[in-house]
Amino acid sequence: MSLQHLKVSFFLAVRGLLRGSRGSLYLSILIIAMVFTNMIFMSSIIMGAIKNSERSIIEYQTGNILVEPKDNEQYIEDVSSLLDKLNRIPGVIRASAHYSMGATLKNEGNRVGGTVTAVRPDDERMVTGTWKKMKEGEYLSDGETGEVIIGIQTSGHKDKNEDMGATLGYVRTGDPVTIEFTNGVTKEYRVKGIFETRSYQADMEVFVTWNEMESVLGHPIEDSTGLIIKTTPDLPEAQVKQTILRFGVQEKVKTWQDLLEEAFGRAIQSFSIINSVTVIVSLVIAIVVLFIVIMIKTLNSRRQIGVLKALGVEKSIIINNYLFQVLLLTTAGTILGIGIVEGMVGLLTLYPIKFPDGDVTPYVTTMDLVTNTILLFIAAAIAGYIPAWRVASEDIMTAMRA
Amino acid sequence: MIEITDLSKIYEMGKVTVDALKNVTLSIRKGEFVGIMGASGSGKSTLLHMIGLLDTPTSGKILIGGVDVSTLTEQQKSRFRLKRLGYVFQDYALMPELTVEENVYLTSMVRGTSEKEYIAQTKEILTRVGLIHRSNALQSELSGGQQQRVSIARAVVNRPEILFADEPCANLDTESSKNVLDLFRQINHELHQTIVMVSHEEWHMEYFDRVIILRDGRVISDGPPVLRERSGIPVS
Repeated sequence: MSLQHLKVSFFLAVRGLLRGSRGSLYLSILIIAMVFTNMIFMSSIIMGAIKNSERSIIEYQTGNILVEPKDNEQYIEDVSSLLDKLNRIPGVIRASAHYSMGATLKNEGNRVGGTVTAVRPDDERMVTGTWKKMKEGEYLSDGETGEVIIGIQTSGHKDKNEDMGATLGYVRTGDPVTIEFTNGVTKEYRVKGIFETRSYQADMEVFVTWNEMESVLGHPIEDSTGLIIKTTPDLPEAQVKQTILRFGVQEKVKTWQDLLEEAFGRAIQSFSIINSVTVIVSLVIAIVVLFIVIMIKTLNSRRQIGVLKALGVEKSIIINNYLFQVLLLTTAGTILGIGIVEGMVGLLTLYPIKFPDGDVTPYVTTMDLVTNTILLFIAAAIAGYIPAWRVASEDIMTAMRA
Repeated sequence: MIEITDLSKIYEMGKVTVDALKNVTLSIRKGEFVGIMGASGSGKSTLLHMIGLLDTPTSGKILIGGVDVSTLTEQQKSRFRLKRLGYVFQDYALMPELTVEENVYLTSMVRGTSEKEYIAQTKEILTRVGLIHRSNALQSELSGGQQQRVSIARAVVNRPEILFADEPCANLDTESSKNVLDLFRQINHELHQTIVMVSHEEWHMEYFDRVIILRDGRVISDGPPVLRERSGIPVS
């Protein structure tokens, strides 16, 4: 196959498309664009939901790295020394200690069982973004006691339909809340603020200060139920985790990816399967549609194909003519498809889809576009080649009598 | 130029076999304008298709310019047709998506002729057939006679050794047919172009140098047209 022959094939393809049926041309491009959109869109929403979960977990729950007590132990001991050590490790911006205790919260006949977590607010502000998500009131300050901040899924919404579980029945800033701790202590607190991160798990949490928890326990706290760490964006969490382990930290150190794998591993696998099925189904649709389009074109052009062969035009030139036609259609369809995808991403960024774990916007990377474009072109080439080859392989007289 | 020896073609249609050509032997010299005539089903188009390498004979030998074409592969036959033969079909067989000039220079492009050269050749041949003013017209914008003249221009633009025409006037009125036949004769005389044409119209004989008449797949007569008229052998 010489360059000259490819030039002839391309010449025939362009003329065939431009001077053929306009309706068929536009319809084919539109179908390919829709197939491309279908390939990208569903997976982008799934990826958007996964990315949203990842962001929520890092930003409002675990930080980039979580340190947990050793196996068979309930607490991390000597937390102050550990915090000092962690805060000196390269790649660690800040570590924040948590002390969680089971509790029942009560307000005007409403009871909610859960966990109350003690934090050092100044540290916590450097690790999580909860302080930026105060729906009303204020975040905690170091040293203060008698105050609590509550996530909106625990405090409750004004419109009960927005509640996703048991709540305190629309508690507001300044309202009193009674907390019965599992160590038998019962105290009344003033609500200092309500936060809303739009992550369901994070919005169920209740925080008090470290000093307040010490008053509940009746002694200074030197233990912790867990530490969360914010790392610098320039270093991968796995690398910082290795550094932490090299510094002799004996506790269980997990990156957010480890946690996600533990917590949502199967869900992510399921998402990947749904993703793959969507892409495969879309590709099959693309192959079938293009196959039919080219089959109709070639069947309608059987006599012309016979004439071309009679004139001495080689079979490969005829096949490549249809191959170029389908690739040009795919190029136009893909460009339109990218436009549609970008438009939908833009629209859904302005008006995100509401998911339980927050607002989800489609997540599309350049690699997604490139990969799906390549897949679509391969599918198109197969779909274009087979019918063109079949008709071009007919003997001249059979084709010319068609 | 063309040597045909014992050429036979048998079509098998289910259990029925049809002897379309039976042991045809003849030769055609360079520069001849030969008419192949005969009644419908006499085998004249089949013979043209065999000589033109559009179909394969069941037995026999065809030599074109000294080349035994029965030994060629499909790809070699394709190149042979492209470089050495030209065709004019009954229904013109133009590419509807191509303009007049694109139809004419298509085979030149395939042959690898330079753009400058094939454009010049196309202009020259379109001028010769009187369609230079319709260079950018599509097939749908041309009359039947004009389409056939484009088809002739396409067939001769590369100066083939032999031009085959399969009932080129079958779809034309008498006036257009005369124009097309005049064009064939002009090309034959001016370019010394060998032309093999199938026809069933008796009045076309006056244009041919020689007439071969077939009946039931056999050559029953072969000679100058003037003798044919005197012999009284029916040609269609």
